[in-house]
Amino acid sequence: MKKTLNINIGNSIIHIEEDAYEMLTIYLNEVKHHFAKNADDFEIVTDIENRIAEMFGEILSAQQKQVINIDDVKSVTAQMGSVKDFETSEESEEAVDPLAHIPPYDGIKKLYRDTDQAMVAGVCIGLAHYLNIEAKWIRLAALISIFIGGSGVLAYLIMWIVIPKAESRTEKMTMRGEAPNLKGFANSHLNPLMQQSRGFIAEFFEFLGNFIQGAGKTIFKIIAIGIIVFGCFFLLCLIATLAGFFGIWDSNVYNYFPINVINEEYLSTTVLAAFVVFAVPLLALVLFSIRVAFNGKAINKTLSFGLLIIWLGGVVVGMFYVAKITAEFRQKAEVAQASPLVSYKTLFLTVDKTRFFTKEDSVNYQIDPDNYKGRRILNDDDNGFDELRNVSLRIEKSENGKTELIKSYSAKGRTFEAALAQAQNIRYQFLQKDSLLNFSSHFQLTKKANWRDQEVDLVLNVPVGTHLKINRQLRGFLNGYNYHGCDDYSEMEFSEWIMTDTGLKCSEELNNPDKE
Amino acid sequence: MIAENTQTQMRKGILEYCVLLIISRGEIYASDIIAELKSAKLLVVEGTLYPLLTRLKNNGLLSYNWVESTSGPPRKYYLLTADGKAILSQLDNTWQELSYAINTSKKGVDLESGNQTNLTN
Repeated sequence: MKKTLNINIGNSIIHIEEDAYEMLTIYLNEVKHHFAKNADDFEIVTDIENRIAEMFGEILSAQQKQVINIDDVKSVTAQMGSVKDFETSEESEEAVDPLAHIPPYDGIKKLYRDTDQAMVAGVCIGLAHYLNIEAKWIRLAALISIFIGGSGVLAYLIMWIVIPKAESRTEKMTMRGEAPNLKGFANSHLNPLMQQSRGFIAEFFEFLGNFIQGAGKTIFKIIAIGIIVFGCFFLLCLIATLAGFFGIWDSNVYNYFPINVINEEYLSTTVLAAFVVFAVPLLALVLFSIRVAFNGKAINKTLSFGLLIIWLGGVVVGMFYVAKITAEFRQKAEVAQASPLVSYKTLFLTVDKTRFFTKEDSVNYQIDPDNYKGRRILNDDDNGFDELRNVSLRIEKSENGKTELIKSYSAKGRTFEAALAQAQNIRYQFLQKDSLLNFSSHFQLTKKANWRDQEVDLVLNVPVGTHLKINRQLRGFLNGYNYHGCDDYSEMEFSEWIMTDTGLKCSEELNNPDKE
Repeated sequence: MIAENTQTQMRKGILEYCVLLIISRGEIYASDIIAELKSAKLLVVEGTLYPLLTRLKNNGLLSYNWVESTSGPPRKYYLLTADGKAILSQLDNTWQELSYAINTSKKGVDLESGNQTNLTN
């Protein structure tokens, strides 16, 4: 592909390729210079131009084409003869130096980037042409300047942007300071057939460019297809999750943690908003990838605006509910309840996995409370998957010499009353069976309620001198005790602790004080 | 250089004479003159012809008519003026003289085998 120009020569319109035009312009300028001596010369030049136009016309009709190229110009100018030919025929008669009337070429150079001999972008070689210095010195200086604070890189980039690329032959010749005439035109280093060796870096950059255009496109397409596949997969997952939320498969999802934060009356709207917030960008990503991968048309404007509006709507609704739900955590309320325990010399502390049954449970599991007597359901759910593990136990010295357990229930709510109601909704199962203290691993909510940061803080007050044998599983509920002193017991079912004046101590620690 | 100069002089004079002869046959277009000159093996480029024609025209030997062309702009068809015809007959005479002079001068000179053999003959 080449750029063509329309020229008016000898009153005919001729389409001509750019390089052919440049060559013709140079030729005609030389001719005009040559015949710029007397009054007849305008006529001669007009005759020549007319004849050239006629020859172009003949070439176009003979070869059945529409555009004059550089070869046509060459053949026409050869037929017309060069200025040198005119000179030899006129020379002796005129007895004038033929060069005298041709104004000497002023040799003004212009600064261009020489991309033909470029290492990177042809800045250095361009400067070299301009300053008439060998390119290697400029390049060396540029390389050194990189190490002086990297100023060379910036300068190079600026010059890359500012200095135009020498594209046409005329520009290339002015870059080299050559007279833009036909002689210069035939200069070998401008001959496109003679490729200059351009060095490794330039070839590398060219390769990189080709790679990005060719192989890079393929890679982009592969990535795009990957995005389409994964995007569709995630979209399906989202839709499946949405379906799940709305109780198609499992109505129990409402009990699990992040969902049980949301008030039931907001739930469907919030879930829908969340779905929109995640699904719309995913859909947009998939559509965009399809466009990249298959060179498809741009997404319909109405569709994309519609998607944007739906997404914004989802974001607004989502934020509204997030704000609303966050407000549910504004106030905190705590209810404490002390229950006296029977004192023993040695107390065994264990975690009871049996689950306390609420009224609701008996409805859920269709258990008749009358038939239930003497039976228990074991809760295997060790890690508290459906609720946060928010039961904590502290063991402290009893001030009054009595053994007692203080249970404090705390919860959050929009108002203090709401928080208090939530706190009172908590039930925690604890049983003393002689010297055995059974702690349950979870608390229960007597009425179905959302998660409102419900917590149970247990404080066990024991008199000084009481021996405590603590079950290994209970350790997870103990806050702030150092077990390292009781390392030897770590594998045992019970570790033994003794309440002293200064707090709870590991019996191992007390028996072997030299260990410390 | 001397040879070149002499050649140029000779060709110049003869070119002018030939062009006038060709035009004397009737109205003719510049590129047809070139074709005629080529068939006469007097090779010139077209660019040389236009200054010559213009000069001859300005000296009153030639005139031209604009003739519409089917393929492009109107063409200049050259023809001899009365002056031109007079000059041509003068040149004709000159050429006869020159021709005689050359033939006489060339007598016994065999250019094919060179001057050396002539002397021995």
